[in-house]
Amino acid sequence: MKKSLLKKVFGLSVAAFMMLTSVGCGSGSDDKESSYSAESDDSLQKVLDSGKFILGLDATFKPMGYTDENDEIVGFDIDVAEEVCSRMGVELVKQPINWDTKEQDLNVGKIDCIWNGMSVNPGRAEEMNLSEPYMKNSMVFVVGASSEAKGMEDLKGKTIAVQNGSTAQEILESCDIAGDITVQAMATNVEALQQLDLAIVDAVFLDSVVANYEIQTSGKDYVVLPDGLEEEEYAIGFRKNDQKLRDEVQKILSEMKADGKLGEISTKWFGSDITTVK
Amino acid sequence: MSGKEILDVTLILLEYLVPTLKLFFFTLLFSIPLGMVVALLKMCKFKPVSWLTNIYILIMRGTPLMLQIIAIYYAIPYLKISENLPVFLKNILDGIDIQGDAFMFRAVLTAFVLNYAAYFAEIFRGGIESIPKGQYEASEALGFTKIQTFFHIILPQVIKRIVPASSNEVVILVKDTSLANIVAYAEITLKAKQQMQIYSSLTPLFIAGAFYFVISMVMTVVFTFIEKKLNYYR
Repeated sequence: MKKSLLKKVFGLSVAAFMMLTSVGCGSGSDDKESSYSAESDDSLQKVLDSGKFILGLDATFKPMGYTDENDEIVGFDIDVAEEVCSRMGVELVKQPINWDTKEQDLNVGKIDCIWNGMSVNPGRAEEMNLSEPYMKNSMVFVVGASSEAKGMEDLKGKTIAVQNGSTAQEILESCDIAGDITVQAMATNVEALQQLDLAIVDAVFLDSVVANYEIQTSGKDYVVLPDGLEEEEYAIGFRKNDQKLRDEVQKILSEMKADGKLGEISTKWFGSDITTVK
Repeated sequence: MSGKEILDVTLILLEYLVPTLKLFFFTLLFSIPLGMVVALLKMCKFKPVSWLTNIYILIMRGTPLMLQIIAIYYAIPYLKISENLPVFLKNILDGIDIQGDAFMFRAVLTAFVLNYAAYFAEIFRGGIESIPKGQYEASEALGFTKIQTFFHIILPQVIKRIVPASSNEVVILVKDTSLANIVAYAEITLKAKQQMQIYSSLTPLFIAGAFYFVISMVMTVVFTFIEKKLNYYR
């Protein structure tokens, strides 16, 4: 008992120390990182050596990467990543993470990439080494079938639900009608749609990819308003230094586009090839 | 959701009852003894020790457990990638595999143990201080040493008095284990949240709620039994 107590006390002091230092070193090390990228980049070799490519995902983003009825992680992104890994000759490890702390998980090396329908925004482009965008997405308003709203203008004075921390939230809060609407930030898109069902909110603002898939599979009679906002794109996020790993994945994606494999996977999930890889 | 779907979700959640219970029992196993030690340290006559313990309790009770889980979980990985570490520390850290499930469990467990020890410490301290001074004087008069007094006279009474307050903490802990989903520790709540997406329904969360309810009920029954057993000398 005494020994484990000592460990605890030690652990506590280490933990307290770390809480202080982790804040400190987070801000200072940024400029150092970019300077030694090219020569000491062993990111690809590391993955090949370990035989594992660890993909971080939220595991709740249907249809890109989510947990299915049998508790298996599946989705469009997962199918593509499986194919990329088999061409690289490594095993794909699907690591569920909390979406709110994805940058931390990536930086500390818990995962090798973030690949879960992640929208490109300036902050993420700054923080990570992003792949070329592989799919286009727009943000749309979804309303109930009985709603009188026919366009964005009709939503003035209404309450609109959005996923908390998503790019949809950023866009909605800075759009033209932002001053006239009430934004309700929900943890997930499902909860947001649930609120729409219960008429707690008047509309939900979310990714068109998700909205269309949701309407197609749930059989609920939602209506997507015609005027969406802001086209955006999905990309894969790598660590700032991991240039070689990023380039390798990008190269394989292009090959897959060329030989039709990517189109095949896209057709399986979306009915047609909607990828934008070159 | 149809009956079959509800059954499917229930079966998946049942699988993840194991990690939830594992976290629950290990937290109790470590935090109760640690809480006892912290209680004694807080009552230490050497003031600096008492103050330090006070600061520890203040931090643990004064910040959200969710934040503590995140802080402890990311502390070691961040240390690992920081530069200019002393060599011995680097060697220790290199031995830790931050990608493994074992690391996640230990990090989460550490946060829970440290947090709950602080709460238990206050309960234990209250129990110890509720024993009248006269008993110490009497046992001294009878020739007991200080250690004998504590273990044979004070502690048995303290245990009786702290059971109701402790049962409170234990039942809260059952539900607090759900906070571990913040670092994607695979337990009932995380799985329920994932299943929610598939069925586009809130039902999985309610099923998870039923699981917590059942565990809490079992713990309540256990504590009622313990209280009855300890109800002597009345």
